[in-house]
Amino acid sequence: MAKKPRRFAIVIDSKKCINCKACNVACRAQNNVPLAHSRNWMNEETRGTFPKLLAAFEPEQCHHCEHPACVRVCPTGASYQRPDGIVAINDSDCVGCRYCVIACPYDARFFREDRGVVEKCDLCARRIDRGEVPACVETCPGKVRTFGDSNDANGQVAQLLATRQYRVKKAEAGTGPQLYYLL
Amino acid sequence: MKSIEWGYLIINYLFLGGLSAGLFFVSAVATFLHNGDGRHQRIARWGALLAPWPVALGSLLLIFDLGNWYRFYKLFLHFRWISPMSIGSWLLMLFTLLALAYAYSWLNDGERASLLAHVPQRLTALRTCLRDLSGHRRTLAALGLPLAVGVGIYTGVLLGAVQSRPFWNTNLVAQLFLFSALSTGCAGLMFAFAFSRQPMAAAELRMLYLLDICFLTLEFFVVLPYLVHSQLSVEAVRQSMHLILGGPFTFVFWVFFLWFGLLLPLGIEVGEVMPALLSKSGLHARKWLVGATAVLILSGGFLLRYVFVFAGQMSAFK
Repeated sequence: MAKKPRRFAIVIDSKKCINCKACNVACRAQNNVPLAHSRNWMNEETRGTFPKLLAAFEPEQCHHCEHPACVRVCPTGASYQRPDGIVAINDSDCVGCRYCVIACPYDARFFREDRGVVEKCDLCARRIDRGEVPACVETCPGKVRTFGDSNDANGQVAQLLATRQYRVKKAEAGTGPQLYYLL
Repeated sequence: MKSIEWGYLIINYLFLGGLSAGLFFVSAVATFLHNGDGRHQRIARWGALLAPWPVALGSLLLIFDLGNWYRFYKLFLHFRWISPMSIGSWLLMLFTLLALAYAYSWLNDGERASLLAHVPQRLTALRTCLRDLSGHRRTLAALGLPLAVGVGIYTGVLLGAVQSRPFWNTNLVAQLFLFSALSTGCAGLMFAFAFSRQPMAAAELRMLYLLDICFLTLEFFVVLPYLVHSQLSVEAVRQSMHLILGGPFTFVFWVFFLWFGLLLPLGIEVGEVMPALLSKSGLHARKWLVGATAVLILSGGFLLRYVFVFAGQMSAFK
């Protein structure tokens, strides 16, 4: 049987997250992200009243969708999807129309005013091409993120998705997100 | 917090693009309906002469809205049929060029000679192009008509094709923007006639009123199902409708767009044209009323785009 192509995904175990924001700092340092914007961010939720309350932290970034709306709407083809599923931007073709920023259901893209182009998480594609993992995955002290090839049946991602219950965000938007949150 | 990416430059462009599409459409209809007898020649000529400029200005606004405006040429190095913006860029360029040729075809001999006098002798290629095109008006109108409809409708498709914004994500937005565009085209001509020194012929006014009654009625019967359907749709759409049903755009949408920008001018036009149609009497052209109606319709067209551009960007799946 022919081997399936690589399909990168991230599985997130939010319950392990302590909101230290090391992932955010690592991403900023790795990708030179200006302070006004973030390629990954933290959703914080508090419920209940003291002393019965809950504080939940949930890291988020580009979902590297199966059918990315941002890629579909891009007029120049600057936004593209690699064969391994990574959704990235070819800087030199981006005209800065921001249609993709509006089209993304996860608000994962931002317009970088100083360069006049749109930026987003590209799963640290250059690191991946060197055989490394994304900076946010490597730096996380709680091992919240698990990165890997979801088509590799023996890989960690496929194993987690096969054995644990999970959810994806805004599935109703129909873009086929590849950021999996363990329940 | 969702950032607002498209602001007033885009709103103005959507309005100006629609206005040009409408002007061209009305002019082309007048060219087809009354070729030869000259009864509606002024509508055809003024529509043709006015049509290229709003879209040209709008395209400039669009280019200056880009993060890297000098890269705009890259839009024309690719054609991506799945991207409404790519289709729109090509439509805009083709329509503007055709509208310019169509406007040129409506110049009379004196105007053409005076234009030619400003072209340097060494630009022989351009001078050869500037020959009499008045015999090709109908052909240019026929070629431009689908492009005008395309420009009018694509602005709505641009918004409607965004699946992540529930306020926009319906095919009705495309139709709404098209009929609004055609109606602002009528209003643009009404405005021009009302403020010109020449007297206004009853037949001209009747044609503009009748066309605009059709467009405004169609627009109203798109707004209505848009509102009704939203309440019968999924939760995200119902929630997004709060923006115009109690939220920040409620007053602008219901009072300024729907009432003052659509129903009131529709009422004025029906009130003016119906007695003339029923009694076969002539239509009394009251310039101040024509001008006021045109201003209401143009404001309504602008506010429709204002509400949709901002509210759509604020809507999202929760």
